[in-house]
Amino acid sequence: MASLVAVDNKKHLNTKVDLNKVERHGANLALIPVVLAEFIHLAVQYPIVLTKNGDTGQFVFSAMLGFEENENLFWQQAQWQGLYVPLQIRRQPFFVEMSDEKHHNELAVCLNTDSPAVSEETGQALFDEKGDESSYFKSVKANLTQLLLGEKENKVLIATLTSMALIKPMSIDITFINQSATKLAGLYTIDEVKLATLNNEQILSLHQSGLLSAIHTMIISLGQIHTLIDLKNKSLS
Amino acid sequence: MNKLTKKVVVVGGGIAGWLTAGRLAAKHKSNTEQGLTVVLVESPNISAIGVGEGTWPTMRSTLIALGISETDFIRECDASFKQGAKFAKWVDGSEDDFYYHPLVLPQGFSQGDLAAHWLARQGQTGAKSFSEDVCFQESVCENGLAPKTIRTPEFAAVANYAYHLDSVKFSVFLQKHCTEKLGVTHIIDNVTGVNSAPNGDISSVSTENNADVTGDLFVDCTGFSSLLLGKHYQVPFKSCSDILFIDTALAVQVPYDEVDSPIASHTVSTGQEAGWIWDIGLQHRRGVGYVYSSKYSSEAQAREVLAKYVGDKFSSLTVRKIPIVSGHREKMWQNNCVAVGLSAGFLEPLEASALMMVELSAQMISEQLPQSRDIMDIAAKRFNETFLYRWEKIIDFLKLHYILSKRTDNAFWIDNRDAQSIPESLKEAMALWQYRAPADHDFTSNNEVFPAASYQYILYGMGFKSDYSQNTYALDNIDFAQHQFAQNKKLTDKAVSTLPKNRELINKIIEFGFNQI
Repeated sequence: MASLVAVDNKKHLNTKVDLNKVERHGANLALIPVVLAEFIHLAVQYPIVLTKNGDTGQFVFSAMLGFEENENLFWQQAQWQGLYVPLQIRRQPFFVEMSDEKHHNELAVCLNTDSPAVSEETGQALFDEKGDESSYFKSVKANLTQLLLGEKENKVLIATLTSMALIKPMSIDITFINQSATKLAGLYTIDEVKLATLNNEQILSLHQSGLLSAIHTMIISLGQIHTLIDLKNKSLS
Repeated sequence: MNKLTKKVVVVGGGIAGWLTAGRLAAKHKSNTEQGLTVVLVESPNISAIGVGEGTWPTMRSTLIALGISETDFIRECDASFKQGAKFAKWVDGSEDDFYYHPLVLPQGFSQGDLAAHWLARQGQTGAKSFSEDVCFQESVCENGLAPKTIRTPEFAAVANYAYHLDSVKFSVFLQKHCTEKLGVTHIIDNVTGVNSAPNGDISSVSTENNADVTGDLFVDCTGFSSLLLGKHYQVPFKSCSDILFIDTALAVQVPYDEVDSPIASHTVSTGQEAGWIWDIGLQHRRGVGYVYSSKYSSEAQAREVLAKYVGDKFSSLTVRKIPIVSGHREKMWQNNCVAVGLSAGFLEPLEASALMMVELSAQMISEQLPQSRDIMDIAAKRFNETFLYRWEKIIDFLKLHYILSKRTDNAFWIDNRDAQSIPESLKEAMALWQYRAPADHDFTSNNEVFPAASYQYILYGMGFKSDYSQNTYALDNIDFAQHQFAQNKKLTDKAVSTLPKNRELINKIIEFGFNQI
């Protein structure tokens, strides 16, 4: 378990975060939760799929990075080889937590002190010597804010997809270059046949709420499965 | 005169009434202009019997046919999952005497006779009970686990399941769904009379405060009073108390110790001196009841038995006494009147057959609704044949539990094994099974209720031995058997390590709900 500590300009005056090590947090992730606002960046390299949260059974959007558990095909030679690194990785090693009762509407930024990126020696400082937030820390907070807002947008999109019954399970059998085979399970995507049967009113509402382009981006992103297969084959040969 | 079937009147609410009205309305589009008119007349001052808290897996397809969301159903009906029944103290009454009748078929059931191999393994060290050796569901139940996860789509299963539910809440839930979504018209009034047409059909029922309610088909869901089929048409009741001796139930609702107490995911049925006790876990309470034969136990003795089972809480609980008259009407459909539920018949709830029979009746009436009066007698004849067959088969299957018991502590158990009390059809089947396991070819009707697998679970769960010594070649396919036993072990380990606790899943359904896919 990560040990999360609320960030504080006295306690963390000398704390630094090594940006070269931040991406390590994604080294062993085959699926990373993503938000709607980054779909367009993700679609250039990663399939965007729906998966179900193990605790709640609710749908979440994820970028797919590998075929097996703990497999991130974009993590090569101890580096992230993708053009775009998802917000969930870039925000590391920071988290937001609802603060205590009396400030129940405020969000506290917490630091995972177990992260390999955290030290007092190397990297970007969180505060200057006077205790004011560094521009780095401000950008971290902006990322966290974007994630929080993104989760709200995700919920709206998922509720819409569910109510219009536009989600379908994905079933793909893949045989890799060494003849090993895998069957993708537990992944869901847009039901294009159902999408094509929506009436004008439904399409217009999707368009006006800005969700139609996100839906199409998801569909297009599925082509990136071939990018993943290619990476996997390269790793096998 | 060829009168079209345009309007069905269901007399009586409760689960039987609402399920029948709902299935008719859903199938025949009562919420549209052209659809069938379905009216349900319900008395304001008769409360539901409220027995029948266990279902079969058929309830899942029934809910789907009604267009009900499983999440809503579980949230509003205090419902939980049921994965079959655990029969304790039925064989010899000792403390470790139990076996399961799970809802998942024996491993490899369609591919070969695993029962023969299981019988051959008996006496070897490490031999397990039949239900444990051939079905992973027993371990799921023994560990208090749910039959699925929160990621499983609604109505889909990892392990086949049915429900435990609060029958009063379920009735209210169905009423709301039927009237708001399916277009069933609800009249709350007392039925005061039945009016006949010249051909003997029911033309209408009179009510206290409304005009006569006319209809083309009348469904009698009036419970034990059987107002239309029994009282009006005088269709005789066929008692089976000479076969099944239970005639009284004492029922209590037992609160859990803690809000978060575990919920058993199976019905527990525990043999007692003059009957057995049912124990059904809902979300907020357990439903517990002692069904016994008054010929073998006084009410005072029965109360003592129930009190001992429930424990300290018993003194603060209200005990409801319900008379049970085992049997059914000689036919269920007469003229333009068909009975569904208690008005058609009732048997002790040993295998939760009451709601299942309501579901099957409602399904057949809606699927085969005669379009006009001139073909109604054909539909009635077929319905009667189908359901008389089903009643007989259920009686046989319930009796099977009693004839295999070795209990001698009370004449109740000894008399149950008296050949005079065993139906011929069951005797014949038992004769055949002396030499082989029950198989699908023993059950060839489309109207079967209990499959061969259920008979195997009861027979071998209760220590019955089929003698294969004259055809040992039945054991030749040893590779098949070893593979299936190993497969069952694998499925058991996987299920036990991945399924959540029953209570945990119920809490998640309340918080998050299932997805439809």
